Amino acid sequence: MAKQEIVAMILAGGQGSRLGALTDYVAKPAVPFGSRYRIIDFPLSNCMNSGIETVGVLTQYQPLELNSYIGNGHSWDLDRNSGGTFILPPYVRQEGSTWYKGTANSIYQNIPFIDSFQPRYVLILSGDHIYKMNYAKMAAWHESKGAEATIAVIEVPWEEAPRFGIMNTDEESRVVEFEEKPEKPKNNLASMGVYCFTWDSLREALIKDENNPESRNDFGANVIPGMIDEGRGVFAYQFDGYWKDVGTVYSLWEANMDLLERPDVMDLRDEMFPVFSRNYQQPSHYFGENCRVSNVAITDGAELYGDVENSIISSNVIIEEGAVVKDSILMPNTYISAGVYLERCIVGMDTLLRPNVRATPDEPEGTEEFCDKLCSNGITVFGPNLVINEGIALKGNSMVWPNDAVRVPDMVSERYRSWRKEMNQC
Amino acid sequence: MLIDAMGLILADNERIRLGKIDEPRSLAAVPFAGRHRIIDFTLSNMVNSGIRRVGIVALTRYKSLMDHTGTGSWWDLDRIRQGLFMIPPYVNMTTRRPDRTDSQSIIDYVESGHQEYVIISGCEFVASMSYLPLLDAHLVNGADITMLCIRDKGKYSIPAVTIDVDDGGRVTDVLVDHPSPKSDLRAVSLLVLKRDLLLEILQDRMARGYSDFSALDLFRLYDTLTVRTLIHDDLLLRITNIAQYFSASMALLDDENRHKLFSEEHPIYTKVKNRAPCLVTPESLTLRNVLASDGCMIRGNVENSVLSRGVVIGRGAQVRNSVLFQDVQISEGVTLDHVIIDKNVVIKMGVRLLGQDDYPIVIEKNAIV
Repeated sequence: MAKQEIVAMILAGGQGSRLGALTDYVAKPAVPFGSRYRIIDFPLSNCMNSGIETVGVLTQYQPLELNSYIGNGHSWDLDRNSGGTFILPPYVRQEGSTWYKGTANSIYQNIPFIDSFQPRYVLILSGDHIYKMNYAKMAAWHESKGAEATIAVIEVPWEEAPRFGIMNTDEESRVVEFEEKPEKPKNNLASMGVYCFTWDSLREALIKDENNPESRNDFGANVIPGMIDEGRGVFAYQFDGYWKDVGTVYSLWEANMDLLERPDVMDLRDEMFPVFSRNYQQPSHYFGENCRVSNVAITDGAELYGDVENSIISSNVIIEEGAVVKDSILMPNTYISAGVYLERCIVGMDTLLRPNVRATPDEPEGTEEFCDKLCSNGITVFGPNLVINEGIALKGNSMVWPNDAVRVPDMVSERYRSWRKEMNQC
Repeated sequence: MLIDAMGLILADNERIRLGKIDEPRSLAAVPFAGRHRIIDFTLSNMVNSGIRRVGIVALTRYKSLMDHTGTGSWWDLDRIRQGLFMIPPYVNMTTRRPDRTDSQSIIDYVESGHQEYVIISGCEFVASMSYLPLLDAHLVNGADITMLCIRDKGKYSIPAVTIDVDDGGRVTDVLVDHPSPKSDLRAVSLLVLKRDLLLEILQDRMARGYSDFSALDLFRLYDTLTVRTLIHDDLLLRITNIAQYFSASMALLDDENRHKLFSEEHPIYTKVKNRAPCLVTPESLTLRNVLASDGCMIRGNVENSVLSRGVVIGRGAQVRNSVLFQDVQISEGVTLDHVIIDKNVVIKMGVRLLGQDDYPIVIEKNAIV
């Protein structure tokens, strides 16, 4: 393999269990976001915009959708002759097979892959954050500090700091202490889950970590604290811009709404630093004769005939006349029938809501059948590939799971994809 | 679906002028339906019919077309063996005229393909169709050339090529821009013939000193060859003058037409541009019957219009019955009705432009009004 200065490794194997039904079939990085994107478009586009041409994507949980989405990396200009995109699942060896035990172990298992490019630096990126960042600047900063590890940090409000991994730094930005979710934070610089390592140092640290039976083989819990304890050059690189962890239903909803409320901060329209996505070739979107639309992000193939307010509409979504959608996120291929009333909902891919389905935070006649602790702030989630039967009303904080089609077949019925296929054959 | 044919697309048609919108670009590269260009339909039809080798004959102003087609990857035509072939003018010591293509380059393209048939298409119409029925009809009717026709039900307008056929369906006359034609059969630049016959015709024309080549030249062979027609009775939007371009654009706002052109089984591919999703802000009070594209920012009011990518509509603007190309900026308080605005145009505050249904106002590329 040709030598590469920097290799990026994207951790995309996690289940994202807090997103519940939305990640029942797909890994979190493949979850749709912001009308025309998937979460993984952000790190992939950042790589492309930073001039990084070799990207390994570590997959483990439900990789099918993610693999087919990434393909050969063409959509992100990452189909290169030397380098490009590599999907890296766990594999079988002579001495047996192991799953990726943790984030650090997944990189450990791919040491031969990284070695083959003889890089000076390796970037470790999470596949579940929404942010636009030039990694080349971070790597240059890493080099200028002579660091062994650089951790990107972002200032968070003090009251939120206890939810994050907090970096305590000295005046030279050297990390002196790393505290995971501290009760009484001494600092408000949170780790963004973006690391730049000098490869030789990381390689050594990974081998050491692997030989420690006590370790959970995790970057945040083991490798980085280990390097700090050893007095290695670990630095914090402060990032200034939009960054959001979309690990929970509420944070996913919030980040989507930021696209409408803070478009300038999210900055998706900057043509010098675009976010790329795989495009499934649909016609332009259509606003119908009697639709009422206000504060909406919308993309190819969608057709709106109803009333839509403060919502994110993905490709190929159809909203019939007489339906009302407010403060909601409709993922690709959802079909909203007449008389449906949605407020604060996330509708998963390929889901059909039959006429007069209602879901609002305080739905008076709504069933509590689907209330779920994964949902908060009145948000209701409809899982992917479902049909919600006519007239069903749900209270807020509900989550409809794919297996509800078996559990409560009178409310949730046959899979939408087969329904749609029949529609096309007619 | 395997088809033993290669495609040949004629990107220009010197008899067709679309106001100012085909001045900076070939007919094939004229934007249509928001995010598409006319050639997307022809290219997608070919690919959807199983054709894997497509040549595009481009005579002039083909920069825009080449930007659009790139390596052909958007149509899955970036191939090691077959794929997309650009055939620009072939200037040599004897021709020296870059406005005429030397048929030699077309001959080279056709000769190096091993397919038995060639499907030739112009770019003065838009339809979503399989070319298999055309090839099937050709195999059954035993003609030398089978061409597509439509029955013209609308108001007659030129340019138009009228076709007369005998009882057996054989072409007996080809009339160009006849003022009052008796027949309602109009030729569509879409035809099929054998590769070897095409080579023979091209070589013969070369020998006689003709260096250009159009679909019409092939129709006109009706007295020496057998030319038969296949009548297309599904949606086909002709784009032969600016009024037709405008009415074809408006026809897209009809659900039935749009769903015929863009069906799930017959995707129409285009160049992907990674624009952000279209945003409609709360200031936009009216937005009805509009086809819009990624990257648009709609703050004003829009009705019965087609917006390409990246169009910005300012607060309080009123846009009706208009077609706006890529990155057009409409400032606050502008009023537009029956206007076609080319790429990158800026319409400044308070301007009013009112065209007519059969005579839309056309604003040329990069203008500032």
